[in-house]
Formats: sequence, C-alpha cells, structure tokens
Amino acid sequence: MSRDAIWWRVAWRSLWRNRLRTLITASGLAFGFLAAVIMVGLTDGMVTELVNNGTRLIIGQAQVHADDFLPERSMHRTIGGYDGTDVEALIARMESNPNVAAVAPRVYGGGLLSSGDETQAGLLMGIDPRREPEVTTLLLNVSAGRPPVAGANEILVGAAMADQLGLELGAEVVVVAPAVDGSMGNDLFTLVGTFETGTPALDANYAILALPDLQLLMALDEERIHEVAVAFVQASETALSSASLAETLSDGPPVRVSPWTELRPELAEMIALMDGANFLIVVIIFAMAIFGVANTMLLGTFERRHEFALVRALGTTPLGVWRTVVYEGIILGLMSLLGGALITWPILVWWHNFPPDLTSLISGFSMSGSQWRPILRVEYSLMAPLVSAIALFLTSILAALYPAWKATRIPPADALADR
Amino acid sequence: MRALILLKLAARSVGRNARRSALTAAAMVFGLALLILSRTLAEGAHEQWIESAVRMGTGHVAIQAPGYLESSDLDDRLGAAESARAISAIETVLTDELVAWAPRLSVNGLASSAASALPVRIEGVDPTRERAFSDIEDKVQEGRYLEPGDRLHAYVGIELARRLDLKVGSRFVLTAQSASGDIEGQLVRVSGIFRTFIPEVDQALVHIPIETAREWLRTPGAASTLALLLRGARETDRAVEALRGELAAEPNVRVLGWREASAELDAALRIDDYGDYVFHSILFAIVALAVLNAVMMSVLGRRREFGVLQALGLTGAETGMIVFGEGIFLTAVSGAVGVVAGFILTWGFFRNGLDLSRLVDSEAAFAGAGGIIDPVIIPVFHTDQILLSVYFILIIGALSATYPAWRASKLDVAEAMKFEQ
Amino acid sequence: MYRVYRYRIAWVPLLGLAGSFLLALAAPPIHAQTAREIIDRVDRLLRGESSRGRVTMEITTEHWSRSLEMEVWSLGVDHSLVRVEAPAREAGTATLKAGQEVWNYLPRVDRTIKVPPSLMMGSWMGSHFTNDDLVKESRIVDDYDFEIAFEGEREGVDVWEFVLTPHPEAPVVWGRVEEQVRKADLMPTWIRYHDDDGKLVRTMTFSGYQTMGGRLVPATMLVIPADKPDELTSLTYHKLEFDIALDESFFSLRNLRSRR
Repeated sequence: MSRDAIWWRVAWRSLWRNRLRTLITASGLAFGFLAAVIMVGLTDGMVTELVNNGTRLIIGQAQVHADDFLPERSMHRTIGGYDGTDVEALIARMESNPNVAAVAPRVYGGGLLSSGDETQAGLLMGIDPRREPEVTTLLLNVSAGRPPVAGANEILVGAAMADQLGLELGAEVVVVAPAVDGSMGNDLFTLVGTFETGTPALDANYAILALPDLQLLMALDEERIHEVAVAFVQASETALSSASLAETLSDGPPVRVSPWTELRPELAEMIALMDGANFLIVVIIFAMAIFGVANTMLLGTFERRHEFALVRALGTTPLGVWRTVVYEGIILGLMSLLGGALITWPILVWWHNFPPDLTSLISGFSMSGSQWRPILRVEYSLMAPLVSAIALFLTSILAALYPAWKATRIPPADALADR
Repeated sequence: MRALILLKLAARSVGRNARRSALTAAAMVFGLALLILSRTLAEGAHEQWIESAVRMGTGHVAIQAPGYLESSDLDDRLGAAESARAISAIETVLTDELVAWAPRLSVNGLASSAASALPVRIEGVDPTRERAFSDIEDKVQEGRYLEPGDRLHAYVGIELARRLDLKVGSRFVLTAQSASGDIEGQLVRVSGIFRTFIPEVDQALVHIPIETAREWLRTPGAASTLALLLRGARETDRAVEALRGELAAEPNVRVLGWREASAELDAALRIDDYGDYVFHSILFAIVALAVLNAVMMSVLGRRREFGVLQALGLTGAETGMIVFGEGIFLTAVSGAVGVVAGFILTWGFFRNGLDLSRLVDSEAAFAGAGGIIDPVIIPVFHTDQILLSVYFILIIGALSATYPAWRASKLDVAEAMKFEQ
Repeated sequence: MYRVYRYRIAWVPLLGLAGSFLLALAAPPIHAQTAREIIDRVDRLLRGESSRGRVTMEITTEHWSRSLEMEVWSLGVDHSLVRVEAPAREAGTATLKAGQEVWNYLPRVDRTIKVPPSLMMGSWMGSHFTNDDLVKESRIVDDYDFEIAFEGEREGVDVWEFVLTPHPEAPVVWGRVEEQVRKADLMPTWIRYHDDDGKLVRTMTFSGYQTMGGRLVPATMLVIPADKPDELTSLTYHKLEFDIALDESFFSLRNLRSRR
C-alpha cells in the first residue's frame, strides 16, 4: 500500500518539477476537450436551430388531424367528424401527456380576399391568439400592427399579399370562402396587421384570423376544428413523442398524429444530411485533438529516456517506470480535463444563453427576418464531454506508455550513452 | 560561408534526431492534411448545396424581364426579340464556364380532367436543355420525361395524377389566360409521372414543351426565364457582369445572379458560412497548438545540446540561427509532405464523393430515402483555399521555431552543460 | 404556393347548356345536308340569342344539401347575369360575366368583388356542373366527331343514340360522350360522359319537356357523378323567355347590385 503511495508521490513530484512540460501537455488536453465539446455543442445547436426554424414557424413539431383529413385537407373532415369534438377537453388531454409542451388548435379554409378591384386567392387560417405563440413563432413575425383578436372580424395577412391588394392597416377586406353547408361564406374584415416571415409561400398566400371568426364564416360549429399543432418538450425526439401522443389520444375520436418529418420530408432529409456532415466535422476536430495529444505525449516521453535510464540504473524496475508514467498520466489527465472543464463550462453557458445574433451581418440585403434566424447556438450534451474526456485521457496515457515501454527495453547504460 | 555551415548543421541536426524530427513534423503534416480535407469537403458541400438549389430553381444566373421575379406573371416575360438577344449574349459572352442553359415559359393555370380540376404551375420547357439542367427527369416514377418533338405531352407530379385520376397517356386540359387576356384551353396527355416528395411540387408542377406553351399562350419566341447553369458557383459574379455588359442596351432584360434570385438560399448559405468559420477557426487553433506543443517539447530536451554548440564556438545568435533553420527546414518539408498527404487523403478516400447518408443517425430517418438532396459530397479543390492552409502551417511552423531559437541563443553555456539533456 | 381553392363562380346561363345539346345533334348521315343546316341554324340562333329564366337548382353532396332559386339573364355566350332569389339569406347574391371578366356581388356585406378568371375552380356554384360545361358549349361542334351508334326504339320511343369522339387535339376532358335524342322532337334524353379509358364519369338526364318561351325545352336536367351515386345536381326551369329586349349594356355592375 505504501509502496503504491510512493509511486503516486513520485509521479506528482515529477509533474511539478517539469512545469513547462506539464503545462504543454496539459494545454493540449484541456484545449482539445474545449474544442471537441464546443464543436459538438455548435453542430447540435445548428441542427436544433434548423429544426426549430423549420417547424416552429408555422407547422409545429407535430400535428393532429382527423384520420381522414390528410392528404386532401377537405374542410369537411374536422376532428370528430361532422359533430366535432369538445375542443377544450381534447386540448387538456393532449397537454396531460408529459412530452407535450404546448398545443394550438387551428381551422383552415380556402377562399378569396378582395379589396377594391384586387382579388387574391388566400389560405385562411384560424388560430387561437393565446395558444398559438406557445407553439409557433408565426405571430412573432408581425411586422406592422398586431395579431387578430376574436369576435372583432380582424385579419392579419402576409406582407406580400397586403402589397398585392394595396392594403393599409385598418383597411377593409372582403373575405369569401366556401362554407361547409355549401353556401358561400362572406364577410368584411379589418386588417389589423401584416406579417413577414421571409417565406414567399406564407407571405403571399396566408391570411390569419381568430379561430371563432373563421368558424363563423365557414358555418362551422365551435366544436369543429381541423388541426391541433403541437410543440414537444424535446424538439429532437419527435418520433417517440408523436407515438406517445397517439397513445394518449387513442381513446377519443379517430385521429392521426403526424410528426413534422412526415409533413416536411424535404426538411427532414436536409437536416439528416446536415447531421451527417456535422458528425464528420466533429470527427475531424476530434482526430486533430487526439493526434495533438498523442504527438505531444510521444515527444515528451521520448525526451525523457535519459531520465528513465537513470532511474533504472538506480534500481527501478521497468514496471516501476511504467507505473510512474501511467500515474503521471492519470494525475495530469485528471487535472487538465478538470481545468478544461472549468474553462469550457462558463463559455458553454454564456454561449447557450447569449448566442451571437448575426442578423446585423447577414441581413444586409432587403429581407427582414429571414426564415432562418441567423443565430449561432450551442446545445448542451452529456455525451460530448464524457466521450471527449475519456478519449483524450486514454490517448494521453497510452501515448506516454508506448515510449516508456520502448525506453525501458534498452539496458540503462546504453540509453545513458545514447547508443 | 558561415551561413552555409550553419545550414548544414541545421540539416544534419534534423536528420540525426529522426524520431524527434518526425514527430514534430508529424504534427504539421497531419494538421495540414486534415485542413485540406476539411476545406475541400466544405467547399464541395457548399458547391453541392448551391448547385442542387439552383438546379431546382432558376440556375446560377437567370435572365428575365424586369418585374418577373416579384410577380411570376406571364405578362412579365422576355418577348421573342429580347429572348433572341439574350441567347446571343449568352453564346457570345460565356464559353466553358457554362454547363447548360434552359428557357422556360411559365404561367399559373388550371388543370382539369374528367375527374377533377386543380390549380397548377405550368412550365413550358425545352426537353433537351431541361434535362441537362435539372434532375426532374430522374424523379420519374412512370412513363418518361418530355422528348424533343413532343407536342401534346405533359410531365406531371404524382399528387396531381392522383387527384385528377391520371395515368400515363391520360388526357387532361390546361386552362390559363393567354397573352391577349383570353382564357385558352390546351389539351395534353401525360407522358410521365414524377415524384419529388415535396408536396407543393408533386401537386402543382406541370412541364410541357415550350413550343406548345408558346402556341397555346400566343407568345411566339417568348420566355419567362432563361436559366443558366455554370461550372461552379464562383463563376456567377463574373458571368453576371459580362452578361449585363453585353445586354446593357436592353432595358427589358434583367440579369440576376442566384443570390438575388433566391435570397432565401443566400441567407441560408451565409449562416452556414459562419458556422464554417467557427469550425475552421477551432480547427486552425487546435492544429496550431499541436504544432507549438510539439516544438516546445523538443526544445525541452536540448539544453545540453545547445550548450555544447556554444561551447564549441558558435555564438548565441548562431546557435539560435541553427535552431531556427531546423525549424524552417522542418516546416518547409512538412508543408510539402502535408499537401501531398492531404491530397492523397482526400482524393484517395473521397474522390467518388463522401456519402453523407451513411453517417445519418436513424432518429432523423424518414420515408422517401434519398429522394431530394444528393447526399454525396465531392471535395472541391480551389488553389487559394489550399494555399491558405499551407501558408497557415508555414507561419505557425516558423513562429513556433522562434521560441526555441531564442532560448538557444540566450543560453548560459556553463549552466547548460550541467544537464544531461 | 399552390392551394386548392374551392371557390365557385357562376359562369354562363344554363340555357347555354341546353342549347349546346341541341347543337350537338347531328342528323343521320342520310340527311347529311339537312343535319348541317340544322346545326348551322341552331348555331346562329344561339349567337346573339337573348334569354331570361327562373331556375331552381338542388344539390346533394356527401356533406350537404342545398336548394337555390335563381334568376338568369343571358346574351350569347359572353354575357350573363345570375342572381340568387332564394333562400332568403343568400338572396341578392349575383354573378356577372361580361366577356372575360367576372364579378360577384355579396349582399350580406354589400360589396362587389372582381374575380380573375385564373382563380376559377372546377365546379360551378358547388354543383356537379363544371366551368367546362358552361364555357365550351360554343365549340362542341368544332371539338367532336359524331357517329350514330343506334337508331330505333328504346322503351317505346324512337331515338338516335350518338357517340361523340373528341378531335385528337381538342381541349376537352372527356374521352367519349354518348347521347340519346328523341327523333320526334329532337329532345335530348340523356348524355353520358366517359373518360379516356371509357369509364363512365357522369350522367346527365333530361325530362319535363314542355314549351317555354315558345320553344320545346327539357325543363329539368339532372347530373349524377358515377363514382358518388348518392350525389346529384338538378336544375329545373320554371320560366324561360327568348328573344327578349336585352343588349350588352344590361350586363353592368349596377345591375349586378340591384335587386330588380
């Protein structure tokens, strides 16, 4: 026991006696750790940002419909059929699922918006102004005015559509849409705001109304809605969360829970590829970090062959030398990684909470609030620090062990004489 | 004379300590190889991204009538004369940077069949040019794409076919407002059905031969867009400049680079660029540190050696110069070897492209595997990027050599001799 | 970008429909000269033809049923005005077509909107008639070849049964149209529309033959889609006048809005 303790002390002293060497080695380990963890955080952050941007704008991470609603999206196929369903109860049931963060009910219609001589076809979307911001960022893109409130015949349209129709805030818009009883629903609405998402498909085609107002226009009872959009607690676990939600809803009206990957397969594919690219990036950084550490350790330990020869000459067994090296490696590894973690942690926290917003650099061209918010974000991960730490730790020990082993194969006298 | 001796000593020193030199060099070589690999892949990925996007859209360069980008209206089109001028400009100004160009006449209309009717976006295309341009032909599920000589043929998406109950050979009628303002119908038959997995495209895009479109819409020789595909995204600015110069006298012709034509893509790429900068900064930093560490480590073991040199008569400065010379020599060699290693690594493993789909995590898997974006990245070598990496390594190597050189020159000889190393 | 807009617009008078079937008649080959004369005469009759009528349309679909009473004015194929008279909550809704322009008047909000033709959807006022039916009537003669498939007695009535095959490049959606016409009075009894594969897509039947406005017309028309036999649209004329004093100036925005 005490013999063992000696080796530890020897190792410790050896480290401190060669401060420069220790510092050099430690810096490689610490910085390698920092780089690997930050890189993983960044790439995770990029993917999360993409998923968020792609889904949080309007579609949400999943959508619930009547099981016969997709793909035609017939306005007659409300959740629960012609009778509809108790919407509040449905929402409550959904919110009771632990994976669900927030839900927002929607009603859809297609029709015409007209002002003066201009008429445009539009997709009418009825939302709950209170619930919608919890699931999507659509209402955050209001560039002028405000979202509509229920019961006041208010409407919010995309900026491009407002342009086409020559609308100013407060202007009157005639909205005509087929109703579910076969008649032509029509009413006057007041423009209370315009939104700009940067996506032409939305800005030129969508008109947002309060859900009860659209129901009235389309002769839908208040129990009839078309869709409930969902935001999950974990943005990256949509498949599992969707399945869980489907379970929760299995005892109600027949519904289908569609994760965003089904609704936007092209986005899912792009993100999957980006994931692959990110993996490669991380591998490259990792490879360099590990190589750097290995290289440093090899060099450092080779340089110590005289020292090893000397202690061997003084009676230390080869095993003893190796033990020193390993123990040094352990102490050094732990200390450096601890130091690395101490530096990394605050940087990570700061970056995560105050991600640099590149809007000022990127929107130099006339496009306010592009769908891709130009923010570099980092995400926390458990795997990354763990794997990096272990990998770097092992590398440093093994990379030191090899030259130590080689050094002790030569008889000390020869080593000392440089033969 | 002295200089030559110093140089020889430097070279010999490098050679004599093979292991140390090799290890030090290894840091630079490995670092440079990795830098080259990552930069070429990054370039390749970017090019790929841009190319996929512009192929689906209006190419690296688009020639249109002013106002078309904003309106997408048939009325904002290049007339026969303007089209001809634009085409001749293309042929005059661009040579081998041009991969393909395709004319398109686009209009919004209605597609009606016996079963139903749906609003669609109709593109009149030149089949031969179009297939060189975009890969819509590869998305075919049944039947075939348009062929030169086709007249009443249409290439439709699978969703449209389903809703209108169309099969290959089925008839349907396209209705739109012609140039004169009249509503005109045009009979077409399905030549092929495609699937892109993008719902909007599968349910609304219809390709018909451009001559048929011109006849139907009474717009002889006209085009909504002339889309150009260049060899690489980098050629865009020069090409746009040249074309604008050539077409300066045409007020009704507008030349657009892809950044203007597709601001969304531009923004997305710029963000990716920043991500790239961060990644490469980190990579550069790690490489620099590795090199620095390697050099520093080797210095630690050479105090006695420096002392001996000075004891033998070399001045501090000269010792320093030898050490510096070693460093430079090593750096230069590493640079050369690193570039070769980088090329071999990149070209050897990835010349057929890196298939990203194999690196994909199954959580993000979905139906319609590999349908939309080409997952294979082909590394792209641009001399200036490669040189940048090489310079970086050379500078790092040189800078790292200064510290040991300085230490060597400042040595107290007597003290140094006390050390074994 | 491209959404399904289920907006329906009244196009052209329903009389045009009936007229089109008259046009579609071809005399038996032995009376080829007579047939051409008949067609020519009818054709010239319809151009510059003015009419006014009152019609009830009943529509039954999978999701709803409706009954509308409408007043219809027309002049040739380019001008028409349709105004809903009943039910009361939709009374006053009117559609004006003049040339290529279409307007809708919405009494509930007292506004007129102009509808660009590119926003036309397939079905007319939610019924099983399509815009195709109402727009193309002038070209039926141009677009089809006629052939007699049967000549003789069906259920005690002497009829011709024609097969109309579209010309190879005619912009029509039907692959084949079959029609039965009574020999005695040249009244159509039914029309069957087939797609390119020969599958029956919808059937139009005529009944209630009576003299209105001095002419014999089928007062009731029924359209039944083949794939949804529970759905149907029926049009019944209560009143019909021809050759009334009507000119293009009648088809104005002011008349669109008035409740005359």
